Amino acid sequence: MNYLLEILLIGIGAALINNFVLHYFVGICPFIGVSRQVVTAFGMGCAVTFVISIAAFLSWTVTTYILVPGAPLSSWIAEFFISAERASRIDLTILSYIVYIFAIASSVQFVEMYVRKFFPPLYQSFGVFLPLITTNCAILFACLLIMGHIVGVDNPEDVWDLGKSLTLAVFGGVGFTIAIVIMAGIREELDFCDIPGPFRGAAITLVVAGILAMAFMGFTGVDSGLKKVLTLSTVEKTINGDHLDHMKNN
Amino acid sequence: MNWVTIGLSAGTLLGMAVILTYILGWANKTFRVEVDPRIAAVLDSLPGANCGGCGYIGCREYAEAVVAGKEPVNKCSVGGKGCAAALAEIMGIELAENYPYRPIVHCGAHYGDRLGRSDYRGEKTCLAANLVTDVQGCIYGCLGFGDCERACKYDAIHVVDGLATVDYEKCVGCGACAKACPRNIISMTPFKAEQMLAVTCSNKDVGREVMAVCKVGCIGCGACARISNLFRLEDNLPAIDYEAYSPACSLELMKVCEKCPRKGIVFVGKPTEKEIADTAHEQLPEVVKPDFKTTVDDTEWRG
Repeated sequence: MNYLLEILLIGIGAALINNFVLHYFVGICPFIGVSRQVVTAFGMGCAVTFVISIAAFLSWTVTTYILVPGAPLSSWIAEFFISAERASRIDLTILSYIVYIFAIASSVQFVEMYVRKFFPPLYQSFGVFLPLITTNCAILFACLLIMGHIVGVDNPEDVWDLGKSLTLAVFGGVGFTIAIVIMAGIREELDFCDIPGPFRGAAITLVVAGILAMAFMGFTGVDSGLKKVLTLSTVEKTINGDHLDHMKNN
Repeated sequence: MNWVTIGLSAGTLLGMAVILTYILGWANKTFRVEVDPRIAAVLDSLPGANCGGCGYIGCREYAEAVVAGKEPVNKCSVGGKGCAAALAEIMGIELAENYPYRPIVHCGAHYGDRLGRSDYRGEKTCLAANLVTDVQGCIYGCLGFGDCERACKYDAIHVVDGLATVDYEKCVGCGACAKACPRNIISMTPFKAEQMLAVTCSNKDVGREVMAVCKVGCIGCGACARISNLFRLEDNLPAIDYEAYSPACSLELMKVCEKCPRKGIVFVGKPTEKEIADTAHEQLPEVVKPDFKTTVDDTEWRG
């Protein structure tokens, strides 16, 4: 399959079909906590996208070059002490969680300093939720998803490269932003609604989130349809090309 | 091989730690934001109640305004004098003499004193009742539905027999009751002494009309103004000049209190030790608690 097509499908899949918040239900904490205003929600989405990209870059690099069995860096070092055959079998994937959390925490620290310096009002409105991106499971989830496509894949051609990993991360972040901004828009309108007493506050927010998740289920199958359309057109071209060649030969 | 794996694991984490620490250290230096350390110090000295009595959203905003020099240090009524002194020390300024602000309810009529009351069955809030005419004869006085009581976070104001009454021992002077009152009869007054002289009426009408709606309302006779020059008659009501008021001129003021035909000029505030001693022998009436034996309605429906 065409590389660009694959990238496109990964992007659409991460942003819409398998939306982190509304399909996997990760990252609910900021999704509920910071979705009072559209502006703040958009800022939060951008911060998460930024952090998720940095974390994905770091985790892909570390996983590919150090953690997987037969990774270049670790086996090169190990060859000084043991035989090459044994060195290529060293498996450091047990470190994955701690390394990812490490990478995420550092990038959150970086983003916090950056936002505080250049966007003080945004920093004020984030409050405690900015450092809490560290524990945002959406980001760890993205890292683990990327790891799943690197470690334990039988066919070496199917192993994800940096481009695919970053696409997943960035579009996962975009999907998070879309979800949280839609949610904030709804909640801004919700303030003017006459909600029955028992539903007020967190209850109606969770109900709205559930309905939103159901709405996003409508995207299911978009990727396979898209794939069919795009690959079919290439196939048709090839057939036509063959046909033309055939005619020329005749 | 185990030792190699352990070594590699440790090396990986150590290497990442060194690299990321270096990056974060560089970022910390590059993106440094200068924050005035005094803001944190001021914030620690404030009570942290976030009541909004100073006019800011919370204590943090007030602390920033104080450090920026936009606000005086004595605006926190909850913290009182100790808090203001601590803030003045942090800011390095001299603290002028400051009196705590306390609410005074400018109405003295209980249910029995009010005339022309009607059977109001609307929503039991002053805000709603104030929209309706003829809830009671006096259009200036306390309505007694307790908006102030609900606004108070410190349980310091209660409606007693239809009249909002401040418990000055609990009051911290945040001013929430004064903001809540739809008739604006609660005013925040600097208390120069534990007990302050107050005019307990807000009715601006002439005497005859006041007599028609209230048994204790001020009729604007001006007796107080003739005895003491501390009083000035404005809109048929005596206004006390709190600037000139000092606790020392009490004797003259006692005469004013006695002379007032409606007994509408009274001292309010915390009780003095003498008063507490005088009333010590009095027994508190027993509080009646609802008893299900007598209050449950067990009558049967026979249709």
